[in-house]
Amino acid sequence: MQMPEPSQDIMNQREALAVALRQIVGQEWVISDEAERRPYQCDGITAYMAMPLLVVLPGSAAEVQQILRFCHAKGIKVVPRGSGTSLSGGALPLEDGILLVTSRLCNVLEVDAANRVARLQPGVPNIKISEAVQHLGLCYMPDPSSQLISTIGGNVAENAGGVHCLKYGVTANHILGLEAVLMTGEVIRLGGAYLGAAEGEMDLMGVLTGSEGLLAMVTEIAVRLEPVPEVARVISMSFASVEQACACVGAIVGAGIIPAGLEFMDRKVLDAVSVLIRETFDSNTAALLLCELDGTAVEVDALVDVVSDVARTQGAIETKVSTTEEERQRIWSSRKLAFSAIGKLCPDYYCTDGTIPRNKLPEVLNKMADMSVKYGLDYANCFHAGDGNLHPIIMYDAAKPGDLEKAEAFGADVLIACVDAGGVLSGEHGVGVEKRDLMTHQFTDIDLNQQQMVKCAFDPAELLNPGKVFPTACRCAEFGRMHVRNGVVRFPDIPRF
Amino acid sequence: MTQTETACLRPSTTQDVADIIMDAAAAGHTLAVTGNGTRRGFGNPVAASRELTLGGLDQVVFYDPEDLVIRAGVGLTLDELESMLAQKGQYLPFEPPRYTGLYGTDGQRSTLGGAVATALSGPRRILSGAVRDFVLGVEGVNGQGDVFKAGGRTMKNVTGYDLSKLVTGACGTLAALTTVTIKVLPAPRAELTLVLPASTLEEDRALFEKIRALPLGVGGLARRVAVDGKCEVVIRVEGTVPGVAGNRQVLEALLPTPPRVVEQEESQALWRDIRELSCLAPKADELVWRVNLPATAMPAFVDEARKAGCINRFFVDWAGGIVFSTMRGVQPEVDALRYRKMAEKIGARAMILRAPDSIRSQFGAFPPVAAGVAALEQRTRAAFDPAGIFNPGRMTVQA
Ligand SMILES: Cc1cc2nc3c(=O)[nH]c(=O)nc-3n(C[C@@H](O)[C@H](O)[C@H](O)COP(=O)(O)OP(=O)(O)OC[C@H]3O[C@@H](n4cnc5c(N)ncnc54)[C@H](O)[C@@H]3O)c2cc1C
Ligand SMILES: Cc1cc2nc3c(=O)[nH]c(=O)nc-3n(C[C@H](O)[C@H](O)[C@H](O)COP(=O)(O)OP(=O)(O)OC[C@H]3O[C@@H](n4cnc5c(N)ncnc54)[C@H](O)[C@@H]3O)c2cc1C
Repeated sequence: MQMPEPSQDIMNQREALAVALRQIVGQEWVISDEAERRPYQCDGITAYMAMPLLVVLPGSAAEVQQILRFCHAKGIKVVPRGSGTSLSGGALPLEDGILLVTSRLCNVLEVDAANRVARLQPGVPNIKISEAVQHLGLCYMPDPSSQLISTIGGNVAENAGGVHCLKYGVTANHILGLEAVLMTGEVIRLGGAYLGAAEGEMDLMGVLTGSEGLLAMVTEIAVRLEPVPEVARVISMSFASVEQACACVGAIVGAGIIPAGLEFMDRKVLDAVSVLIRETFDSNTAALLLCELDGTAVEVDALVDVVSDVARTQGAIETKVSTTEEERQRIWSSRKLAFSAIGKLCPDYYCTDGTIPRNKLPEVLNKMADMSVKYGLDYANCFHAGDGNLHPIIMYDAAKPGDLEKAEAFGADVLIACVDAGGVLSGEHGVGVEKRDLMTHQFTDIDLNQQQMVKCAFDPAELLNPGKVFPTACRCAEFGRMHVRNGVVRFPDIPRF
Repeated sequence: MTQTETACLRPSTTQDVADIIMDAAAAGHTLAVTGNGTRRGFGNPVAASRELTLGGLDQVVFYDPEDLVIRAGVGLTLDELESMLAQKGQYLPFEPPRYTGLYGTDGQRSTLGGAVATALSGPRRILSGAVRDFVLGVEGVNGQGDVFKAGGRTMKNVTGYDLSKLVTGACGTLAALTTVTIKVLPAPRAELTLVLPASTLEEDRALFEKIRALPLGVGGLARRVAVDGKCEVVIRVEGTVPGVAGNRQVLEALLPTPPRVVEQEESQALWRDIRELSCLAPKADELVWRVNLPATAMPAFVDEARKAGCINRFFVDWAGGIVFSTMRGVQPEVDALRYRKMAEKIGARAMILRAPDSIRSQFGAFPPVAAGVAALEQRTRAAFDPAGIFNPGRMTVQA
């Protein structure tokens, strides 16, 4: 993985830049000391590291504006960062760029229960939103597993999903308004703090969401709040084969049911978690599905019956249905502990994020088994089955020379298989630097050009988070012109109009 | 193609669309992009030298009911699409309105592409989301004749910029869309609507708020003018048969008076009427407006606008978050400006759904955006269509 060559000239200006930036944010909020910058070297992917030029922590949107205006004038690159939990290297620093961190912008600005909206600063951790409105019987639906730490700004930038997005949608479906600062320091406000506030506007909010910090720095977010479902019950279903479990996923959806969540765990994951939760799984079980149903009590009871029937028809060995909240939590604990349980089995693991049409699950899972043999690396599967979002966990040992490279190649093969099956490289973690060089497998040059032209509309100087998402720089200056196809017009002599 | 049938180009493949656009770009022509042209009256009038009609791209590429996804040409009519989905017990949750009653065109010919380009969402918006939330991917041709695709067919996708959202609601000013991939959902098994006499706007809004705070999955909350001219509140309950019965009881206990209950087909017809704004019944010379606003601001806004003569007839949908109204055509220039000002004052977005061309050209059908956003929109448009050949003036007003 190659990043753009850092500018030595800019790196030499570190101290002078620190002085200037301190005038904007105050003495203590620019970190220039090397030891203090070290914790910011990577995000959730520790395999990629770089020392940021400076770490800057603004205390207001106005400060963000001044910082960006300053950096734009000086030609300094900027990498936005929330909590640094990105699993694609989106918040990987640049040695000649400042890391602009939102930790101090962590206030819930307004809760408007009547209109069911909350206004937030970008550094608010996801979980704090639901906590702030819990007493009103409301919640913020998107719930990435990282929700204790990851910020709403980072969620917007990565269009984060979560276990419940099968029924409730991803981050993009819950954003009503955004305030963002362009690299030039110009502030733009899109949508607003009510449902429909963006009607009749070009959907710039839609393109900012999931843009991985490349288009603008998000400084305020208005999100939709939802009533907390009355009850939730989970059904655990075990199957003797992976194929049967996959078929059951399709059958549940085919029966007209959209579960709140539908998760898959293979035998390796079950063995790993059984130690932690002191529970054993039937020895014939090859795969387990967890299906959560929520709504009113009557509605959920009816759905539980239908899903139980489907499971039986699909040959489930055993189904367990939670009858109390404690039981529900216990059944979920296996899924919640899955990643840390695998972590105990191997020195390191690597997890990718391809997404495929549901009915391609067996095909792609079989290919993964072959790849495991090819690379000689073990793997386990624990993923969001309902929306075909795979998270293969590839186990390796970073201390063994060549192991990381093998794991990366294995991961890349999985992603390529996902695209070939009609899916995409990333369901929720983003492209970042991790999947950047695979983008040409999913998109043609024309597709990528079209996306990069949009980058040029937002940040023609290409100073915001460069080196991410796209395998090549934009060359915005060149894009400005119409490209002439060697002056060729098809059938120039035939009058068309 | 011969010279005589030239004014309107009606290709049936993506490649033909690309060729036409490439040639238009080379020849310096501009193109009015339409589906079947049923909603030409929506948005600002377009001044273009040629018309590009995409109604011929009406093939279904695939429909995978188990995966809840369909990909089809933009020319597929919404009626055909919806009946195809209904055969599998599925539907378009965003309930796209046609509004063809306003324009005197044939609603049966409204296309999928038109629904995506206008991004108009129906009454279920409060529960299920907007058009943009269901567009998973698109294929289109940009202003240089390049065929590009964006998005995909899976619900989760963070792979590059979400250009599918960007083109949704851009009214054909960014690209000529050729195919669209849409997420669909299982249609609810049961549906009924509770109907009760309206009270004051504030009391009705407060009732909506109370109902929306409950996790009952209510997919429609409106206050409309009934056939007899009296106003009524309508509440749509959807879901499983036992779920609907249960929710009905909970709601009935909450309502100030026992409601009349309308079930299944009759309920569907009622919401079709609301979706198509039937109760407004605008007179030929009346303007029609669609105002989005915070529900809490609605009663005072309506009151003020009525006193000022900017609202003649109106009704309220989206739990109070949208006001549809007619405006007398006596002094439209003066009233349009006043109504927009009133809306702007409270951060509402006032869109003109129907008005004479001159009014829409002068004031813009879409609510104005801040200068910085307008400039960014313009740069974004240039990123797709540098020479500005698509639908000139559709979304912008020349100063
Ligand atoms: C001419 C006319 C047209 C109407 N058109 C619609 C319509 O298109 N859609 C709709 O939902 N409702 C309509 N209504 C019903 C309207 O009376 C409701 O009261 C309205 O929905 C406003 O309620 P409110 O909560 O603002 O309280 P209200 O207490 O009703 O007051 C709202 C304002 O309307 C005036 N007003 C209310 N009723 C009358 C009346 N009978 N005669 C004169 N002024 C009155 C009041 O003076 C006040 O300024 C109409 C009423 C009138 C008089
Ligand atoms: C244990 C674990 C579990 C996870 N589970 C999930 C999951 O279930 N679903 C899921 O979707 N993801 C998951 N993730 C990935 C990650 O948590 C999400 O991508 C999250 O949204 C990142 O938020 P953050 O605040 O940590 O952002 P960061 O990692 O700091 O940044 C992520 C990206 O956003 C940009 N960015 C951050 N803030 C802003 C801003 N204000 N303006 C513009 N750009 C900005 C950065 O430049 C970077 O490109 C998980 C990660 C971990 C470590």
